[in-house]
Amino acid sequence: MPRVRRSRKPPPDGWELIEPTLDELDQKMRETETESHDGMRKVESLWPIFKLHHQKSRYIYDLFFRRKAISRELYDYCLKENIADKNLIAKWKKQGYENLCCLRCIQARDTNFGTNCICRVPKSKLEAGKVVECVHCGCRGCSG
Amino acid sequence: MATSLGANRYNRQNWEEADFPILCQTCLGDNPYIRMTKEKFGKECKICDRPFTVFRWCPGARMRFKKTEVCQTCSKLKNICQTCLLDLEYGLPVQTRDYALGIKDDMAKSDVNKEYFHQNAEAEIANTDGTVAVGSVGKAQAPSDLLLRLARTAPYYKRNRPHICSFWVKGECKRGEECPYRHEKPTDPEDPLSDQNIKDRYYGINDPVSNKLLNRAQEAAEQEAVAPPEDKTITTLYIGGLGDVVEEEDLRNHFYQFGEIRSIHMATKQNCAFVQYTRRSEAELAAQKSAGRLILKGKRLVVRWGKSQGTTKKDTSTKNLRGIHQYYDPVPGLPGALPLPSEVGSGSSQGYKRGNMMEPPPPGTIQAPGMQGMPPRMMGMPPPMLMMPPPNYGGGPSHMPMPRMPVHYPSQDPQRMGANMK
Repeated sequence: MPRVRRSRKPPPDGWELIEPTLDELDQKMRETETESHDGMRKVESLWPIFKLHHQKSRYIYDLFFRRKAISRELYDYCLKENIADKNLIAKWKKQGYENLCCLRCIQARDTNFGTNCICRVPKSKLEAGKVVECVHCGCRGCSG
Repeated sequence: MATSLGANRYNRQNWEEADFPILCQTCLGDNPYIRMTKEKFGKECKICDRPFTVFRWCPGARMRFKKTEVCQTCSKLKNICQTCLLDLEYGLPVQTRDYALGIKDDMAKSDVNKEYFHQNAEAEIANTDGTVAVGSVGKAQAPSDLLLRLARTAPYYKRNRPHICSFWVKGECKRGEECPYRHEKPTDPEDPLSDQNIKDRYYGINDPVSNKLLNRAQEAAEQEAVAPPEDKTITTLYIGGLGDVVEEEDLRNHFYQFGEIRSIHMATKQNCAFVQYTRRSEAELAAQKSAGRLILKGKRLVVRWGKSQGTTKKDTSTKNLRGIHQYYDPVPGLPGALPLPSEVGSGSSQGYKRGNMMEPPPPGTIQAPGMQGMPPRMMGMPPPMLMMPPPNYGGGPSHMPMPRMPVHYPSQDPQRMGANMK
């Protein structure tokens, strides 16, 4: 089923170029939503969702800010249609948060001691050789 | 039944609130900086089933997070840590500590009895100040030597390690490197230590760790006691741990039952004494009967074999273990002494003789003739032939209160049991 359009206006030019990729990502998302949870921990079953969400937003962000391959109009259209996460991209524009995995990992209110997630600790500050998969999104380190 | 927080609190079990946990050093971990979460009424106490304040913290890197398991009331009743249920002072299981201190604690253990008991206990605790342990533990305060020996001195952080990864044991652990649980072989399921029960541990009944600890202590005590005496001519027992209360009288009164005591030498500076028997068999009997079991005037005494004079045992204790043979001046005016049969080869130059025994003169008059230039106080004191020049030796044996009369035979020794002390 094609993606439902929230606005009545047709998408701006350049949409046809990005549409196939977005469709593919949508398809993958639907697959992860329906896949079985066997063999995965309770938290682990959500990790692919967060990963794909990050990936989608990343695609749009890269196209506009890095490669400058789409117009601002199209970019705004994507944000309006919730194809990319506006809040997540806002964080990516900040210094130090360029590779932020998800918004849950910087939410201090969610933690016992008001800190960020373990994945936000730079690898240099973490004791050597310690593998971490953060419990929210399965990230292995998004700042160091 | 503590149905809810606002339920009728008159004469019923209340939910417990606390500000700070009661924990032992091991449970807290090695890091002096700890972040702890406090959750009011987070869990039910494992013993009294009341909701209580749960504290949770990380006891160090690569340790599992620990939390308080029993409520403060239950922990105060037994003077134990809220998490590991071991005694706060000694780090020993409840059963061991109670056995060593002789506490027989009868708490109600089931149903309404238990609730009633705990609700009363809580009220009682609220009335005392927090310094002394509540209940039987506070009252029984004879610090037992057994306890001190069994107690752990350093913290044992292996207790705080994460549990064994059960997936890894089955070969199915998919987390691999990042798995926080231990990838080690689990302990033997037949080992009696592996089925422990929190209620058993708390009440001090049927606790396998306690049993093992006590058995080991007993074996160790027996081991050192019945250690076969080495040199066949040694008839001296070393008695250690006297303190200031145990006197020669007490030693004599105890050791006379095994046979004739040849001499008792006190070295109060080293807190020890040497009891020498006339016969080897008597000494062996005494050692067997008293070693590891002797308690005089509340002090648990160490009973071991002494070494013959002239050699010192390399011992872990800092005391000089030396057997001392008592030397007696030869009776003046008699022909030269014959060597004692048992002392052949041990270099004794004096001995007893069959001769006229002089009537021991009343104390106070000093028999001057024949005195070998030794000061009266030193009389009867053995000049020990030590290899080691003991710096403290000069002051050592000279505080035996010797009356001023010549002692040529053991039976003349006024300190001896049965001597006429007039």
